[in-house]
Amino acid sequence: MEACILITEQSPRTLKEINEKIRKGEAQVLTAEEMKQLVESSGVEVAYKEVDVVTTGTFGAMCSSGAIINVGHSDPPMKIDHAWINDVPICHPGAAADLYIGATAMSETQPYEYGGGHVIEDLVNGKDVDLKATAYGTDCYPRTRLRTQITKDDLNQFYLLNFRNGYQRYNCAVNSRDETIYTYMGKLLPHCRNATFSGAGELNPLMNDPDYETIGLGTRIFLGGTQGYVIGEGTQHEAKSQNGTLMVRGDAKKMTAEFLQGAAFTRYGTSLYVGIGIPIPILNLGLAKKTAIRDEEIFTSVVDYGVPRRNRPKLRQVSYKELKSGSIVLDEKHVRVSSLSSLKVARKIASTLKEWIEKGEFLLTSPVETLPLDSVFKPMRETEATPFVANVMHAAVTCTESEPIKDIASRIVTRSVNHIVVIDGKGKIAGIVTSWDITRAMAEGRKALADVVSRRVVTAKPDDSLETASKRMAKHNISALPVINNEGAVLGIVTSEDVSKLLGK
Amino acid sequence: MVRILLRFAEALVEQPITSQIILQYRVPINIITAHVNSKGGEILAEIPDEALDMTVKAFREKGVEVSIPKLIEVDAEECFSCGMCVSLCPLEAISIDTDGTVVFNREKCVGSTCSACVDACPARAIRSVKQLGTIVKAVSKKKT
Repeated sequence: MEACILITEQSPRTLKEINEKIRKGEAQVLTAEEMKQLVESSGVEVAYKEVDVVTTGTFGAMCSSGAIINVGHSDPPMKIDHAWINDVPICHPGAAADLYIGATAMSETQPYEYGGGHVIEDLVNGKDVDLKATAYGTDCYPRTRLRTQITKDDLNQFYLLNFRNGYQRYNCAVNSRDETIYTYMGKLLPHCRNATFSGAGELNPLMNDPDYETIGLGTRIFLGGTQGYVIGEGTQHEAKSQNGTLMVRGDAKKMTAEFLQGAAFTRYGTSLYVGIGIPIPILNLGLAKKTAIRDEEIFTSVVDYGVPRRNRPKLRQVSYKELKSGSIVLDEKHVRVSSLSSLKVARKIASTLKEWIEKGEFLLTSPVETLPLDSVFKPMRETEATPFVANVMHAAVTCTESEPIKDIASRIVTRSVNHIVVIDGKGKIAGIVTSWDITRAMAEGRKALADVVSRRVVTAKPDDSLETASKRMAKHNISALPVINNEGAVLGIVTSEDVSKLLGK
Repeated sequence: MVRILLRFAEALVEQPITSQIILQYRVPINIITAHVNSKGGEILAEIPDEALDMTVKAFREKGVEVSIPKLIEVDAEECFSCGMCVSLCPLEAISIDTDGTVVFNREKCVGSTCSACVDACPARAIRSVKQLGTIVKAVSKKKT
């Protein structure tokens, strides 16, 4: 016995040995949360000796998801050109009767509330869905219109085929603007009054095997309540920044809606919550150590989604432990945090997968090719530069409210501007006056600037695109926007002439 | 029990209207939340169903604006416990228990006067629903 243990301690296990134990119902399986407790209480050597498999789980909104369906041929047959299911437009990227239901495609009659994710959920639940299609008609596929009711049983194939799932970790989002914004990270209150995050942290599949020793093309996983497969790295996968992602496939006919749910994000769109769990075979001591990772060791950035740019400002680093505590500290203030992904369902996934393995129903596979460690997530190459307010704004001509109207009038003439920004003693915006306001004040014999100042000023931020700024001017029927920072300090002004000059180039 | 929202104009703030009504009509008014300052006030209170008509009438006679807010209801079947709503609730009526389940405390919720959580739920499991259906309708229609 002694000798035996010595051998297991020194030599790594093989997947074949683990599967043999699973078949005999002898495999020791722990969820990732249980593994961490064991390592903490008994040390990594004991954990390595005792544990064969660690199960992980995550359940979150995964927008780059969808399902490939084959609807069969109608009679006469039709090369579907445009298709809708329950009024959600469905892609037709291939041959006549193959369709792809994208999770984020929105219903044309209930946009933002119902979308491709909900269609997939309805099909999984066995519901009847309404398929409409049109086509231009060909010699071989003459039909041009059809409408029918179908269920998942009528489909030849119904495969979940998701191209970016299971992010290793994700940003924590806040909003510095003075208005509530609705984003893919949920509803963000103004002045960073709340924060949202996504991801299961220490329970996340990729986080428990961060060097992707056991995960890659062909890894059998828990997907949507049934067995599925990893089919490679997901889009935007980047190992070195711990932003690994997965591409996965699974038979949606066997899935359950508990682990696959349509979701609606107000003023953003629809998505699909996907449940994924990956078993990590503890092949060596290193993997035992890696699966012991704790939330306090997993960090992400608090990112300001109030800035509508690719590189949004990162305000601080935060651990998943702090995020899961329900509040984080930002600028010495406690900010309440919401999770967008469900830790409850993630835990259920990890424990369900554990049960499957314990019962011998789920055997582990060795990937044909592990996930890449060197891929880089590049920004878009843009051949035409997009102008931002920061690129065109210029110094604003300002005044204070105590100045006489006559002085303002002469400033408008000498500086040849139409807009004067009214500032307070600290340089913060207090209002705006236009040449028209001044003309009218002179005509009506008014002396006090206070009587003519517009105090509800429509403004821009340097990071707004010029398109956003010009749309704002058009919406409010005005011809200039003072540019301010988050504190309200006046940085400059952008006018409709700036926009026209740029377009005229 | 029915929840009613009382709005007091600036001119009424100084008067002990709620106390007077409690004493005069012997109605047990349970104050859930109250935000009152010199400019006016808002009280969310709970009263027994059978005292609804009488109490609403009494407040309206004294010039108080009375409305019956919708209540927030969470469909436990639809909710998958993400927790998006938790940080939005100004009254901390939503929390997450140790197993990760999102728990909604109806007692702390002020209903449709807030509704901050309703449009944020990805599962669309949160709804504002009318109280008591017909009774509420009848009372809301009466204008003093």
